[in-house]
Amino acid sequence: MSLLKQMFGAKPQLTASQVDRLRAWRDQPEPDTRLPFDASRLVVVDVETSGLDVRKDHLIAIGAVTVVNGKIILADSLDIVLQQRYVSGKDNILIHGIGGEAQRQGMHPADALLAFLEFLGKSPLIAFHVEFDQSMIGRAMKAHLGFRFEHTWADLAYVAPALYPQLARRYRSLDKWMELFGIGNYARHSALADALATAELLLALRPQLEARQTMSFQSLRDLERERRLQTHPI
Amino acid sequence: MTSTPPNSLILATLDHLSRFAPFDRMEREHLIWLAERLSLGYYAKGEIITSPEQGEVSHFLIIKQGVVQGEQDVVRAQEDAAWLELHEGECFPLGALLSKRPVTSLYRASEDVFCYELSAEDFLALTHKSEAFHDFCTRRIANLLEQSKHIIQAQYSQSSAEQQSMSSPLSAIIRREPIACDPQTPLREVLESMNRHSIGSMIAVDANHKPVGIFTLHDVLSRVTLPGLSLDMPLANVMSPNPFTLPPHALVHEAALAMAKHGFRHILMVENGRLKGLISEKDLFSLQRVGLRQVSSAIRNAERLECLQQSARDIRELAHNMLAQGVAAEQLTQIISTLNDLLTNRIIELELRENPVGDIEFCWLALGSEGRLEQTLNTDQDNGLIFSVPAGSSAEEVRARLLPFAKRINNSLDACGFPLCGGEVMASNPKWCLSLDEWKNTFDKWIYHGAPMDLLHSTIFFDFRPLFGAQHLAEALREWLRVEARKNTRFQHQLAVNAMKNRPPLGMVRDFVIGEGHTLDLKLNGITPFVDAARIFSLAHGITATNTLQRLREIAEPLNIKPHDAEAYGDAFLFIQLLRLRLHHEQTERGESLTNKVNPDSLNNLDQRILKEAFRQARKLQTKLGLDYQV
Repeated sequence: MSLLKQMFGAKPQLTASQVDRLRAWRDQPEPDTRLPFDASRLVVVDVETSGLDVRKDHLIAIGAVTVVNGKIILADSLDIVLQQRYVSGKDNILIHGIGGEAQRQGMHPADALLAFLEFLGKSPLIAFHVEFDQSMIGRAMKAHLGFRFEHTWADLAYVAPALYPQLARRYRSLDKWMELFGIGNYARHSALADALATAELLLALRPQLEARQTMSFQSLRDLERERRLQTHPI
Repeated sequence: MTSTPPNSLILATLDHLSRFAPFDRMEREHLIWLAERLSLGYYAKGEIITSPEQGEVSHFLIIKQGVVQGEQDVVRAQEDAAWLELHEGECFPLGALLSKRPVTSLYRASEDVFCYELSAEDFLALTHKSEAFHDFCTRRIANLLEQSKHIIQAQYSQSSAEQQSMSSPLSAIIRREPIACDPQTPLREVLESMNRHSIGSMIAVDANHKPVGIFTLHDVLSRVTLPGLSLDMPLANVMSPNPFTLPPHALVHEAALAMAKHGFRHILMVENGRLKGLISEKDLFSLQRVGLRQVSSAIRNAERLECLQQSARDIRELAHNMLAQGVAAEQLTQIISTLNDLLTNRIIELELRENPVGDIEFCWLALGSEGRLEQTLNTDQDNGLIFSVPAGSSAEEVRARLLPFAKRINNSLDACGFPLCGGEVMASNPKWCLSLDEWKNTFDKWIYHGAPMDLLHSTIFFDFRPLFGAQHLAEALREWLRVEARKNTRFQHQLAVNAMKNRPPLGMVRDFVIGEGHTLDLKLNGITPFVDAARIFSLAHGITATNTLQRLREIAEPLNIKPHDAEAYGDAFLFIQLLRLRLHHEQTERGESLTNKVNPDSLNNLDQRILKEAFRQARKLQTKLGLDYQV
């Protein structure tokens, strides 16, 4: 497939089994996002890409952990590298540490994205700076699976400042918030490690959420919306 | 769960866990099994993690980050009720999980905490799978101690144990480069230099530092003084040329052999033609001197105080070597005490030979730590005398004859490195040189009045032990005390109140009751609580042993202390003793004066944990004391 075709959205060819897997995923029921955290499954995600341009750069890796009933389940985690036709530049490799060899040997993109979907199920997604992860994953889904990935996300980059308005000005990056709660990171800029740190941040926000009696995914969304309206009034 | 290879998160968890006991000793396969079953939970500062009300424990927790405190008394739990403090890598609650019951302590996050959590079911499965894990859970303190011992052995084995063998290379016993000079140096300068450095020989070296001659103090008489040579002569005129040399890899016994064969007193060690070291006859002797048998026989056969002074130094050297070889603290303190006993005995024998005291029947008493057979290397004198009064004489008369004798012995002990007691608890003090009846009266007053000073005295004197002379006098006093102390529960209560004023520290880093200069007093905070409790319980139950470990063993049954609890008390006590010995050894190496103060940060992670556990045991024993005497 030429770069041009890819950019203008030629329909990718899926195998029969890939089509079946996609359908099976789509047919799953939607969860109730109003359930409290200690009775629900949430997926926290982070991606690594060839760069920061959401229109041109492409998805290299997805890392995800689950928070089930309020706890992070270590084994229920995903660390997946998408096979790359063109290995990203040296500067980029130095950031996420996924070398050329690993990029070439990754999972076929369609299979990798299907594996992600199967891992995700219909659980709601959480990330820090959702726009980026959402666009990168969305574009890859469109390109390799040929469908619009419309999922429910909540963004901790808005939730955290909504809970700690007095800190909002100084705390903008994930690193800053991790620092506030003394959260470590075993490998910063590895998708899975960053997903874990984001999930730990979610757990650390719990006392504030409890204090406001906002203990469901839906209430995270409400907080996020509230914060967005404050910072970018329409 | 997953059959695929573990992902980076599982591997990172594995790496993190393997930094801590017992995970560092577990097989990788078991660690992966564990990591794949862990969840990660968060507890905000102040939040309760698990408590007795929650019923049977559901999870095994390993601290990923943060500090957890355990509070034993849930009803009266206050902020200062913390009784143990757990840090990164530590796990809880073990006892409750093993016996499938609720926890007895309340565990609370004392700052924001992340914990790895394993279900109780998986925890039990893991104890069956992994022997290392099982061993850790069931014999926590014993297990940690074993590990610590291995580390100590590894640390010391190179530095000293090797040095002590005749089959080690010369390079192992050379401490520094010898002092040398040019052969043309005038004799006067050479002799001045030898005097200044207190050395017995001077080596002459050429411009390339190759040894060309040796000159010893022995040579001064025959080659300089008697021939009447001028001190302006160059060294080259009187030195012995072409000294005997050996390479660094030659063995110590080769040097000994060469000395014996050729009658040399010195051998030079030369590497690539350059002078590197000097081995003297004395160095070789000292290698053989400091065995246990050698030291004790040297003491038994010593004819002069100077010999005993050397023996006293040898005892310290021996203790250091044994510490290095990983000899347990119990044996080590007993060996030190036994050798010190021998030394004291010999001092008394020599003194009696010099200045006999005639037919007076007396017994020299060891008090305090010496009485308990728990001497470390930092011990001043604590002793007394007990005597019988012959018919027609008075206690004053006998005392007047014994005091000068005792004074000389105290001074001799001082000369051997046992400093005079600052508190004057010595046999030469008329207050502590008493007849059997006088001792009984003194003890009786302490027991019935129980003034602060009386209580303090009883902690030193009630641990008395006969050391030399008429043992039956000491035995009679012990029997009297056994009966009297047991009867007086008010006195026991007072002792308990006094003992409970000295609380062992809580945790390790924060919350620590740390004294001046960020230090912990191992003796006061660590040893004393065990010693005091063991003494009080022994007095109360008519146990006559004075050694703390023996006391702990003997009180277990009458007090209904479970055997494994008694064992844990003993282990904890011994660990703190071992730390003290190590501390003293390190201070000796650095040429510092000996103290019991240690900076907790200077201990490795494992030792910190054991020490914390040892303090916890001390608090547990104190709690028992408090309950029994309603303090």
